[in-house]
Amino acid sequence: MFMAEQAASSRPNTPPPGGLRQFLLSQEGVLLLLGVAMVLLLATRSDKFLTVDNLLNQGRLLAEIGLVALPMTYIIITGGIDLSVGSIFGLCAVVLGFSWQVVGLPLELAIVVTLITGALAGLVNGLFIVRVGVPPLIMTLATLAFYRGLAQGISEARSVTGYPEWFFGMGQGDFLGVPQQLWVLALATLVAGIILGLTTFGRALYAIGNNETAARFSGLPVDRYKLLIYTFSGLMSGVAGYIFVSRVTTTRSDMGSGLELDAIAAVVLGGTSILGGSGSILGTIIGVILIQLLKNGLALTGVTTDATTVVIGVVLIAAILFNTFIQRRRAQ
Amino acid sequence: MNAFSAGLTRFIPLLLGALLLAAYTLLPVVIQPERGATTPYVLLENRANNELELPTAGLQLVAMAALGALCLGVWNVLAPQFGRAIAVLTALCGGLALTYFIIFARDYAAEEATYLASLGPGFWLMLATAGLLLAQVLLPRPRPPARYAIMRVLGNQEGVLLLTVLAMTIAVGIANPRFVAERNLSDIIMTTSYIAIAAIGMSMVIITGNIDISVGSLMGLLALISGRVSLLTDWASATFGLATPEARGLVIAVSWVAPVLCGALVGALIGFAVTYLKIPSIVVTLGMRSIIFGGMVVWTNGERVVDMPPEYFLAQMRPLNIPMPIYFMVVLVIVAALWMRYSAAARALYAVGGNAEAARLSGLNERRVIMQAFILNGVFAGVASLLYATQFQTIQPTPQPNVELAIISAAVVGGVSILGGTGTVIGAMLAALLLNAIRSALVFINVSPFWVQAVQGVLILLTVLADIFRRRRQST
Repeated sequence: MFMAEQAASSRPNTPPPGGLRQFLLSQEGVLLLLGVAMVLLLATRSDKFLTVDNLLNQGRLLAEIGLVALPMTYIIITGGIDLSVGSIFGLCAVVLGFSWQVVGLPLELAIVVTLITGALAGLVNGLFIVRVGVPPLIMTLATLAFYRGLAQGISEARSVTGYPEWFFGMGQGDFLGVPQQLWVLALATLVAGIILGLTTFGRALYAIGNNETAARFSGLPVDRYKLLIYTFSGLMSGVAGYIFVSRVTTTRSDMGSGLELDAIAAVVLGGTSILGGSGSILGTIIGVILIQLLKNGLALTGVTTDATTVVIGVVLIAAILFNTFIQRRRAQ
Repeated sequence: MNAFSAGLTRFIPLLLGALLLAAYTLLPVVIQPERGATTPYVLLENRANNELELPTAGLQLVAMAALGALCLGVWNVLAPQFGRAIAVLTALCGGLALTYFIIFARDYAAEEATYLASLGPGFWLMLATAGLLLAQVLLPRPRPPARYAIMRVLGNQEGVLLLTVLAMTIAVGIANPRFVAERNLSDIIMTTSYIAIAAIGMSMVIITGNIDISVGSLMGLLALISGRVSLLTDWASATFGLATPEARGLVIAVSWVAPVLCGALVGALIGFAVTYLKIPSIVVTLGMRSIIFGGMVVWTNGERVVDMPPEYFLAQMRPLNIPMPIYFMVVLVIVAALWMRYSAAARALYAVGGNAEAARLSGLNERRVIMQAFILNGVFAGVASLLYATQFQTIQPTPQPNVELAIISAAVVGGVSILGGTGTVIGAMLAALLLNAIRSALVFINVSPFWVQAVQGVLILLTVLADIFRRRRQST
């Protein structure tokens, strides 16, 4: 696909990059149009949908997936994948609860321990992938089982509740009228977007995804970068786990099961190629928002959750189909 | 390596094995002579009858490990050319003893912990010896000629898996004989069978360099379809007057074949999207997973299927007193293994997965091959779901959680490379067996079931690492 794009951009009669037309034909543009159309359609079906309250509340719900989807975008751009994020999420939730209630750490310190746990879990993934050469899919499949197993083993099916009041601020509180976790997500998105789009580190990720050997021979520190993004993925899963515990006020070991697939779906829907080499943070965030609004809007118009699952599956495949169609047209 | 150290290396497993055995048998007597001489019996006797009258059955694992190391040591002296293989097996014995000491004696059975504590320095001697048994694998040994069968067995994933399954069965069986009771073993194989059968299809898909993460949902759906069709027996007899046993049998047969055909259909659909629409398989099946999952719940309204006719329960049949799923598993694995090895169509799967470009240039129709893999995957998922559906009296309206994880893990642990091009279905079956047996084994040696998944995760990682290192060594 990369070759095709290159061939296309070297043609004299293709429009110069940038411009509205270019954006509208990109996956992000298509998604944005689709999203706006969908919002308008759903707004006519339910008057509760397009209200500030509802939308902010949806923001609360999508923050966790969003936070996990950001590093997932990086990883998928390099041609890798991280299936263990849901399990790290659950492990971090359990570590948070048990290091506070059972070990007896102060809650502030427990949060720090949780984040370190997440980063370490990601680092372990990265080390095996980079140093030993285990394919990312297999490595994170193994740790998908292992981290979830650790969470189950530590918690032994007990849940932790009874957190102090201040702890719920992150999950339930507002800052300047907007849910706190949305600020976190917005900040993280901004930073992640800038890093990916405007730094050499970001460009290197694309280079790795397009041709890892070439990237290595061009002197890019491929191993260090990969280690970084998998660690980052673990860390963000930890942050998301912390926010989730704060939102639902309890800790259980099965938290975050299937989160990895939701995050991957959002990333892929956002136009990031699962084969690596292309994608953007903007697309990912639009993907995350689109899925959440679709869920919420359909639920408000009386569609069951399970039928919504079907719709999301169809949208995912259709969006990718449309994207490949456009890519092929452009390549011709 | 000079002659002296080579000679020493030759005797090390024997010495260590003897030391561990001696420590196990003699130390309790030497250190606490007041307890009286129990030496002749301690090896064979269950220590439930020991002088402390404590049920310390797990300790026999250490005795077995010591005996095993001793036998291997003798073998090493007699046939040093097997040195490397013996070193690995001896290390396994050391690992077994260590595992017992570290995990179980410390926090599980208080009686055993008490008993071990009463040994004082003897306990530490055993611990250290076990550690040395493990460490001796690092000693340099001459590379053996490749013609020995044992090296060939250890040189491929199937051999390692088979040895691990056997070693584990024997070890756990000694620690807790109920583990090897016929009932438990057949339970393990029963629960393995449908995972193993689905793993055959998954192996084929992965060998072509694709993946299917929707297979768990698909199996749930196919099981429901099968169950629903079987409910039509009464309807058919009422509508068409087909009350004869033959007609009922026909409907049952249809309900058995339906999931296989529907599976093939869904497989063809996925294959079409992957090959002709050119969507990467992980994305297609990610989407299919939600479509099937949601569609299934919408269709059934979340209701279970119950009251299937009595003839329907295929998996509960026991011809020759052996459960039906075992026949299915064995026959399908053998047929698939032969097919994968000898038929041109199956070799094409490997060719496409190994090097798609080369396969195309040599005239293979890549699309057709991948399509074929997905259809076969659907067929095997259909058979698997049939065995799953007919196993119990009810069919759940939601797929079993994580079943695709179990299936993909079985394929990968069995040596199917996720990069495509290599792997066998026998390996996948053995891996499914191992992953399931471990679950059961941990229960029988009283490890909390909450740790099962963590152990499985480590196991998946270990086998994959072993595979990677072996390939690296073979390629250099």
